[in-house]
Amino acid sequence: MAASFLQPPTGSSPQTAIHLSQGAASFLKSQRSAFTLPWPLTLFLNTDSQEKWAIYENTLLACLRTGDFDSAHVALNAMIDRFGKTNDRVVAMAGLYQEATADDKKELEEILEGYDDILKEDPTVFSIQKRRAALLKSMGRTAEAVTAVSALLELSPTDAEAWAELSDLYFSQGLLEQSIHCLEEVLVVVPNAWNMHAKLGEVTYIAANRTEAAGEQSKLLAESMRRFCRSVELCDDYLRGYYGLKLATTQLLTSLPTQKKSQQSDLPPIASVQKLNELATAKLANILRRSSSGEKGWDGYSAAELAAVRQLLDKDTQKIQR
Amino acid sequence: MALVANAINVLGILFLSHAVYSAWEHSLLPSSSLPPSPSSILPQALDPKINLPLDIVLETLASVFFLCLGVVLSSPSLKPIQWSAWAGRLERCKEARKYTEFGVGGGNPYENLEERPGFLDIRGANRDFAEWIRHSKTT
Repeated sequence: MAASFLQPPTGSSPQTAIHLSQGAASFLKSQRSAFTLPWPLTLFLNTDSQEKWAIYENTLLACLRTGDFDSAHVALNAMIDRFGKTNDRVVAMAGLYQEATADDKKELEEILEGYDDILKEDPTVFSIQKRRAALLKSMGRTAEAVTAVSALLELSPTDAEAWAELSDLYFSQGLLEQSIHCLEEVLVVVPNAWNMHAKLGEVTYIAANRTEAAGEQSKLLAESMRRFCRSVELCDDYLRGYYGLKLATTQLLTSLPTQKKSQQSDLPPIASVQKLNELATAKLANILRRSSSGEKGWDGYSAAELAAVRQLLDKDTQKIQR
Repeated sequence: MALVANAINVLGILFLSHAVYSAWEHSLLPSSSLPPSPSSILPQALDPKINLPLDIVLETLASVFFLCLGVVLSSPSLKPIQWSAWAGRLERCKEARKYTEFGVGGGNPYENLEERPGFLDIRGANRDFAEWIRHSKTT
């Protein structure tokens, strides 16, 4: 499948990044016209479009990722010519280019100082605030990155991306409680994001596996189960949600019967947990069957996720056979 | 199905134009029918003052029916208006995620909360990519 030039290359596979950066040279060449008309006539020949600049941005990111810095420089210069040096987005792109081409730690420190200078003039350039936090994280100074993202959130508390980043930073430091809190803040901003509900379920599940106290663990597992339920309610056939739902309910079924009667009041009844577990198993088996038989309209799941589902279901059947 | 719907549409258009033409021709013949008595309901200006034979009336009604049927049958299938059905389709099939134009397509719109392009660690991405190239060359 030919990758679209409009697809942002950040989260995509290396193959798409290669494809984009290979097309970069010819794309940039095609954009350079041999002659330009004098001023009033240029108004009739408008080549500006959103698509064009989206492709420029994607090309720049893909070239930086694959290490084709010459093409990246050309794309960056075109963007600077069009939007000016002080545009928020262009400043961040220029910073990205500098970061990617920096040779050693000293240069990175200089870039960081440059960011600080920009922010001293105007602390509300959010793209640079984010770049600064990302650079700190990339340099391994996670604690400072946390402070930077917190400062950003002081200024703009409805920035879901920043809350998600802060949650990830806390998670990487093992502070699960804070991480869960940040994800809840994300859900306050975007309550319909089914992947964030699943993510919150996952982090809660990990937190449950870490706690020693049985009562607390069941409570966290029940919480995690509810998050996964919400994610599959928002999205039919959501593989990640059903996978998590199955994991959480399976563990909950082993821990629930050992609870004292007094504690069971705020826990879900065993019968409904059992039902949810069966539903998740049936749904996962259905997804696996239809995807692996190559049914039309069921080709969107990633192969790695399907393999994980197969493993989970196989483990289940082995247990029953024994 | 699309072929049948289009055929019905074409049939409807043919019948309708034929009926209209017949009515026009009929109105030009002064001897074909006696003028009806002036209508009591319609205003003077709107009264057609001619009598149409039954077959033209029936042809008009049939052609309009054919056209309605054809238009309904040839319309595209309904898009999901339920959030979960729409989201499920995005997860399930690749076609739904395809980029068709700027800002259209691309799957889960909340995906960037996990990828976070604003906080992109470009050095890490670059390193991972070099690693991937080395790995795919050795295997």
